[in-house]
Amino acid sequence: MGKIEMILNAKEDFKLGKIQMILGWKKEDESIESIPAFIESVEELEELIYDEYCVNNLSKYLIEEAKNGKKVGIFLKKCDALGMEQMIKDNRILSENIVPYQVECSGMKDFQTGEIFKKCQKCLDESQDKYAEVKEIENMTHDERYDYWMGELSKCIRCNACRNICPACNCETCVFEKKDEDILGKANNESETGFYQIIRAYHVAGRCSDCGECERICPVGIPLGKINKKIIKDIEELYGKEDDDTLSSFNLEDDDTFTEKKGGK
Amino acid sequence: MRRIGVFVCWCGSNIAGTVDVEKVREAVKDMPGVVHSVDYQYMCSEVGQNYLKDAIKEKNLDRIVVASCSPRMHEATFRKAAESAGLNPYLVEIANIREHCSWVHKDKEVGTEKAISLTKAAIAKATLNEELVSGTTQVEKRALVIGGGIAGIQTALDIADAGYLVDIVEQTPSIGGKMAQIDKTFPTLDCSACILTPKMVDAAAHPNITLYTYSEIESVNGFVGNFNVAIKKKPRYVDMDKCTGCGVCIEKCPSKKGKSEFEEGLATRTAIYTPFAQSVPKVPVIDKEQCLKFKTGKCGICSAVCGTKAVKFDQEEEIVNQTYGAIVLATGFDLIKLDNFGEFHNEHPDVITGLEFERLTNAAGPTKGKFVKPSNGERPKKVVFVQCVGSRDKSERGKSYCSKICCMYTAKHAMLIKDKYPDTEVYVFYIDVRTPGKNFDEFHRRAVEEYGVHYIKGMVGKVMPEGEKLMVQAIDSLSGTPLEIDADMVVLASATQAKPDAVALKRKLNISSDLNNFFTEAHPKLKPVETASAGIYLAGACQGPKDIPETVAQASAAAAKAIILLSKKELTNNACVSNVNKNICSGCKACSKMCPYDAISIKMMDIYEHGKVIRKEVAEVNEALCQGCGGCTVSCRPGAIDLRGFTNKQIMAEVDAICL
Repeated sequence: MGKIEMILNAKEDFKLGKIQMILGWKKEDESIESIPAFIESVEELEELIYDEYCVNNLSKYLIEEAKNGKKVGIFLKKCDALGMEQMIKDNRILSENIVPYQVECSGMKDFQTGEIFKKCQKCLDESQDKYAEVKEIENMTHDERYDYWMGELSKCIRCNACRNICPACNCETCVFEKKDEDILGKANNESETGFYQIIRAYHVAGRCSDCGECERICPVGIPLGKINKKIIKDIEELYGKEDDDTLSSFNLEDDDTFTEKKGGK
Repeated sequence: MRRIGVFVCWCGSNIAGTVDVEKVREAVKDMPGVVHSVDYQYMCSEVGQNYLKDAIKEKNLDRIVVASCSPRMHEATFRKAAESAGLNPYLVEIANIREHCSWVHKDKEVGTEKAISLTKAAIAKATLNEELVSGTTQVEKRALVIGGGIAGIQTALDIADAGYLVDIVEQTPSIGGKMAQIDKTFPTLDCSACILTPKMVDAAAHPNITLYTYSEIESVNGFVGNFNVAIKKKPRYVDMDKCTGCGVCIEKCPSKKGKSEFEEGLATRTAIYTPFAQSVPKVPVIDKEQCLKFKTGKCGICSAVCGTKAVKFDQEEEIVNQTYGAIVLATGFDLIKLDNFGEFHNEHPDVITGLEFERLTNAAGPTKGKFVKPSNGERPKKVVFVQCVGSRDKSERGKSYCSKICCMYTAKHAMLIKDKYPDTEVYVFYIDVRTPGKNFDEFHRRAVEEYGVHYIKGMVGKVMPEGEKLMVQAIDSLSGTPLEIDADMVVLASATQAKPDAVALKRKLNISSDLNNFFTEAHPKLKPVETASAGIYLAGACQGPKDIPETVAQASAAAAKAIILLSKKELTNNACVSNVNKNICSGCKACSKMCPYDAISIKMMDIYEHGKVIRKEVAEVNEALCQGCGGCTVSCRPGAIDLRGFTNKQIMAEVDAICL
């Protein structure tokens, strides 16, 4: 791999002053892990690398870095670019402040195990039914489904990693951090944890780019991608794909043809 | 700590019959903040209201909870009472323990439990209620009437006479509507056109009325007092200012094969036409589908013969934008299509509908008033009327309701025939004869007793064309005898129905309609001409089947309501409007995309936060436009938008009170 010419282009643009910052990846401490690099000087340029360990999506840093008219160059893989587009749609970043360098990707590897990430395998293997896992859950009885999700969600330690890494979770202040409304307490109890996960899923519903980062980053291994995927599937089936703002638009022609499904337990 | 007063209403036995009101009062009297609680038979009565006012003063209450009927009914009453006792009206909270509780429960224990839950939720919310103050908006002194039939004309004339400007928007090239097609009116048998045309002329000549004929409503935005309406003027291809209505173009038009809509297809018309002789305005329109100039490019005779050069083949659709204070809907009705009623052989030229009959007996109609069979021009000797064709019919093809006007117009038709040709045999098949109304039953009895019309109770099973005759098979259901009548003509009283575009219009106006697509009034008894949307009123058959006297009465009632609105200097806004916490707002625009009233815009602003100035885009609510629907609050992911009076915190408190 190593799209050297992209890096050369970015370096050239930086030297010419077209961009004032580069968001890329670098190595540190002789680890094979690639970490985000925030390049602001010519000396740092040599640190830039691109290899199969550059899994981090850099787009979310743009909210902070591309403020006040600063032009920022950024390296984006296919899935990362979708996240950035969503943030532009959400009016969180201005596209005129961004110079994107799209890099090719043939799957990223976990630096600890050396294996290609599950999310990347799914992305690369186009023969796979992308809704296979959703269908598995849809085929469960209501009670089985309830037990499955309660089992998974009870592992949640509310570390907020899924939220922090998600390009669609891009509010300035998260609703969970509003001090005066007591939406969530600090104690770890099942109902509040479920509440947290439901709100997280609904806040990205219709805007999730399906990059799979939430599931990858989850330290306790909750299959969050399945929830997102289910919502993506439902939106596709109920409304079709073409409308971007399906869940946050008001349209007089909308049908109310929803079937009511009874939940379990 | 709050000082909350709780007032539990019995509503006679409406609530107390299913809810143990004393137990409700007992259950909430020690909730935090509650310092006073009573239950009383009728809280909305003067005595009840005085309890409330006295308690506010004596116990120094700062929040009020009334557990009673729906806030739609008496919220205003209790808010007013509280205000007169010096309390901000928005500190009053209603727990609906009637519609939401006693009326839907049978078991008193269960009902009481739910009433306690609802009251607790209201108390929890009231604790967080805050004083709200409403703003005001100006009222645009102009009304819009949609539909130019008798309902629309009457409404417009009344509003215009009161001194306000009115615009009538009519789909067809002329005002007049269904009434213009009718020959005589029941129960007086006076000439329909004779009483309608002067009103049409009055409407056209009135200095306060503007007619938009051949026009449609494109979109409606805004709110009571300030509706922004886009009116689409379809191209007539004739300049209304230049045309003198001389009619030479119509005379010379070589394309004469169009079916006349006004004559119910019983006569033809030219490609350039006015619907009928007394059309208002008397300016013709060109039917593009039929016009040779549009089809082949080789005609233009109308343009050549026009003395004032009024024909404009290049005319285009025009959009007129106008602001109105009030809107009256008077879009009328249609008759159902009889495609699914094959047993009547409706396609046979001598099987006609009531409306076709009107044209056949009309002196201005296709037969010059001679009542003859459309098939051969001969006078029918035996005529059979079939009532309730599709009315009171619960099957797929029909309408479950009574179309209301058919009993009377059938009696009228029967009499008109007997009047002109007394030797004609006339039969009327009916399910019931329904003739309530002033002089209505007398009218029907006259048909039976004086004119000798044969009324037979029973439905017609089949009409079979046989040679020149129509064999009508039926059963006299009183005697059980099968009947076969060799009729010359069959007249079907087909059901009335809502206009096909009623649903589209209701969506544009944000009002509701019933299962049959007739527009729904705000309250069937107390608000019969209002819709649930403030400032939008109903007149005539768009609300349900109606005869002319009723339509005119309702039209004047709708006009009166519109006049009341237009006469106000300013309107009080809803105080329960959305409010943006600009510090939290990310400027994502989700709320503005979702707002049905276009009340939210995104603005670049300087926000002061922790001693810093941050320049960012944030949402801003136009309080005059906001209708308090709350759509934005749930679309706001960070929870930066709150609805005053229904804040997230208040709703959470309600949920907690019910669940915990």
